[in-house]
Amino acid sequence: MYSRIILNDVLKSKLITLVTMIFVAAAAFLVSLAAILVVNLSGAIDTLMMQAKTPHFMQMHSGEIDTARLEAFAEENSYVDDFQVLEFLNADGARIIVGGNSLAGSVQDNGFSIQSEKFDYLLDLGGNLINASDGEIYVPVCYWKDGTAKPGDRAMIYGKEFTVAGFLRDSQMNSLLASSKRFLISENDYAEIKNYGSTEYLIEFRLKNLSALGEFENTYTSAGLEANGPTITYPLFKMLNAISDGLMIAVILLISVLVVAIAFMCVRFTLLAKIEDDYREIGVMKAIGMRVSDIKKIYLAKYAAIAAAGSILGFALTFVFRGMLLENIRLYMGESHNSAFALFFGIIGVLLVFFAMLAYIRGVLGRFGKISAAEAIRFGISQEKSGGAKYFCLSRSKLVDTNVFLGVKDVLTRKGLYVTMFAVLVISVFIIIVPQNLYNTISSKNFIKYMGIGSCDIRIDIQQIDNISQKAGEIAKVMERDNSISKFAVLTTKTFQTKSGSGPVERIKVELGDHSAFPVKYSEGRVPAAEDELALSSINANELGKSVGDVMELVIQGKEKKFTVCGIYSDITNGGKTAKAVFTDDSADSMWSIIYAELPDKSRTGAKISEYIGRFDFAKISDIDQYITQTFGSTRSSVEKAAYAAMAVALAVTVLVTLLFLKMLVAKDRYSIAVMKAFGFTNQDIKVQYVSRSVFVLIFGIVLGTLLANTLGEALAGAVIAYFGASSFQFAVNPLSAYLLCPAVMICAALTATIIGTSGAGQIKISENIKE
Amino acid sequence: MNKIVTGENIVKSYGKGDEKRNVLDGVSAEIYQGEFVSVMGPSGSGKSTLMFALSGMDGVDGGRVAFDGSDLSALGENELADIRRTKMGFVFQQPTLLKNLNILDNIILTSIRDRRKNAAKITEKARALMKKVGIAELEKRDVTQASGGQLQRAGICRALMSNPKIIFGDEPTGALNSKYAQDIMNIFSEINEDGTAVMLVTHDANVAVRAQRIMFMCDGKIVSEMRLSKFSGTDIDDRMEKVIAKMREIGI
Repeated sequence: MYSRIILNDVLKSKLITLVTMIFVAAAAFLVSLAAILVVNLSGAIDTLMMQAKTPHFMQMHSGEIDTARLEAFAEENSYVDDFQVLEFLNADGARIIVGGNSLAGSVQDNGFSIQSEKFDYLLDLGGNLINASDGEIYVPVCYWKDGTAKPGDRAMIYGKEFTVAGFLRDSQMNSLLASSKRFLISENDYAEIKNYGSTEYLIEFRLKNLSALGEFENTYTSAGLEANGPTITYPLFKMLNAISDGLMIAVILLISVLVVAIAFMCVRFTLLAKIEDDYREIGVMKAIGMRVSDIKKIYLAKYAAIAAAGSILGFALTFVFRGMLLENIRLYMGESHNSAFALFFGIIGVLLVFFAMLAYIRGVLGRFGKISAAEAIRFGISQEKSGGAKYFCLSRSKLVDTNVFLGVKDVLTRKGLYVTMFAVLVISVFIIIVPQNLYNTISSKNFIKYMGIGSCDIRIDIQQIDNISQKAGEIAKVMERDNSISKFAVLTTKTFQTKSGSGPVERIKVELGDHSAFPVKYSEGRVPAAEDELALSSINANELGKSVGDVMELVIQGKEKKFTVCGIYSDITNGGKTAKAVFTDDSADSMWSIIYAELPDKSRTGAKISEYIGRFDFAKISDIDQYITQTFGSTRSSVEKAAYAAMAVALAVTVLVTLLFLKMLVAKDRYSIAVMKAFGFTNQDIKVQYVSRSVFVLIFGIVLGTLLANTLGEALAGAVIAYFGASSFQFAVNPLSAYLLCPAVMICAALTATIIGTSGAGQIKISENIKE
Repeated sequence: MNKIVTGENIVKSYGKGDEKRNVLDGVSAEIYQGEFVSVMGPSGSGKSTLMFALSGMDGVDGGRVAFDGSDLSALGENELADIRRTKMGFVFQQPTLLKNLNILDNIILTSIRDRRKNAAKITEKARALMKKVGIAELEKRDVTQASGGQLQRAGICRALMSNPKIIFGDEPTGALNSKYAQDIMNIFSEINEDGTAVMLVTHDANVAVRAQRIMFMCDGKIVSEMRLSKFSGTDIDDRMEKVIAKMREIGI
């Protein structure tokens, strides 16, 4: 009997069944895809890090190195399983030309290495160890992906010619977020070019037991060994490898949640409409003694069938599309060892959607229990009336136009029905505005304040050379005399040891200099002004458990000195773990210096940069806009693309759902439409009523959607960005597009859908619907 | 007397091909100003279809319908709607009130075009009509909070709002008990007394006898017609006898 009921129902409402199924299929597709991607990604990362034997602890170091002391430390330390020091030859991007493309404009620190002997191997795309012959160069896989190099290309490194023999996977530096990239060459070739660049050391340890990593880190820090550079541990390598594909998965998951919500809304709407239609029949069934559970089954059966068909279709789609999205993971990390599990989790994802749908339908059908058989048979409609609508009367209404009144009144009376359209509109507005605001924010000039960089015109980086402070001083002297520079600040970063209470000794990077000239964004407090003040980046403040006003100690020239935390600021550079202070120090080695400069005449920026590049070849001098474009350009363009894609998807969903909704509504209301036409309402009057309903719902949907986008959306985006170190995040809203253009586009889309959706009202024949 | 509605040779059919069936098969009928006409006949005889055709609510496949001198087939949707709203009133078997409006709002609904200027007057008129038919206390009630008889009275008020030239009623007492039915028919008689033409479609002889002229329909044709004197309110039994005798005579 159920199959006959289902078939009849489906045939009667083909479009609605189809659209509901499409949404369920899309939801199942996205959820199972996300599950498959998560499992594959984690599997592929594990495989890569296992094959490459990624170090558990790595200290980068530039400057003098005492290998014997390090060896002795490794030998004596019971945690250490294996130890090695690798060399990384930092090269000027302009001196690396691959396939005719110079890497001069690259923001990556490109350098050369030889294959290591014990662990931290560089692998080819088959996952095998590479042995480079003389004259061969293996290029990081990201340069293949972006089209810079292809196999067989010629490469010129400091005038020496190489052949691109293949591409390599680097378990440490694969990710674009890892700022260094290793090229692999043979030992002989390395020896030949070694003198052209500056050598950096990678001091690497493998531990017997990874869980002892924290203790080992403390031991290394307190031993006072080489530490002039960042420290990176195994979990961080893992995170770096996971993050770019992880973000994509997060976006897919977010979209799938929204699609599931829309699918729920569709089901809810069609179900409520059906219940309203069948109200009398339901009453009769109850009256003749059918159990509520039996009546529910009739309705449940149809939607269970739709949900099942949608879920199967969604899973089939996963098979078609997963290859495309797995391609990137495969390229960067290779095959996952647990791809069989992936399928299993994909099925679980689909089942999750299916059962969630069933549970939801059961929930909606719960209202059957409340239907009074007598009332249903007598009146044929639900007696639940919304209080607000009761007092909104035509006879008392100030609304002049009766059609507008009828439209608004209908929405107020049948709120439950319109919730669907309203919710879809709110979600659509949210999907349109949040990515757009995010794009506006990260492309605004002020965004660099969140990056931990002051607002300036020129940025000069001096690093990986000897006598950094002295070289920075040279530039400062020239700038002082330069009339075309209105202000500048030299900020030098050094590392100091700090003790947090009875906790372990930690190293902290402190940027010294005048921080008030080019201030960054402070979420709390202010820039350090006095010698004993210290500002912390938000990640550091969290990890050290410090807030404004707290006191912390730094070890300077062997003595502990107390500092008051005066501010907490945003920083997403250098892993977000930095500090700022104004005291002078000559003891510790400088890790790097940065000079910010501002020009009164912005049009001269380009010329000034060229002048300084010619003068100071040891420094990396860049226009701040160019710097941001290179650092955030790809993220910015992805977000821009995502914003446009989100807008297209949201508009399509709005049009589709509005169209479906109004078609159903007209079908449901055909009796009322016939009555109104009988008493002299024209088709135009009816259309105005439906447009009024849409506009009324639209206005509330857009207002709530915009509000949510600017509050909840901002908080969500802020939470993601805070993860990378930027605090007190606020959207930079473009009011024209967010408050005028987006609502206008939404209104146009929804109104077009309304007009098309209600075109059926004109065809409704009075006699066919009203005849006794 | 002037003719308000004229139908000449009306043909209306449903279905296609072999299944095509003429529901009205060359019917001609006229209604005069101030006249009270009933149309009687068994189910499926075409009486409701005739009412829909004469009121312009439904198009015809053949013949011609004129209302107040205008050929309805030559008018567009909007003009037809205007005529229905301003010159005709309708009362159906079910009250056909909109569920999401209260009773007063349902009554003033048809005055849609005039509300802009005369909102207060329109409401006042609706209240007066409600008082006249005995439902003054119901104005704020929802449709679900009134009895069938009360709702039908509200439907009559709505039909009278535009001072129509004619009121079409399709089985207006079909869903009511005999007490309520009598009350409703008394209202129709009063309306007719005031000069409004009434055309009622019914299979109930008790209702039909109020008319001055009764058309009998069978298989899409008017098979007979009878004239009666003006209803006095006391001669109902006498009229019933005549009508039943006529029905026996023509075999319906």
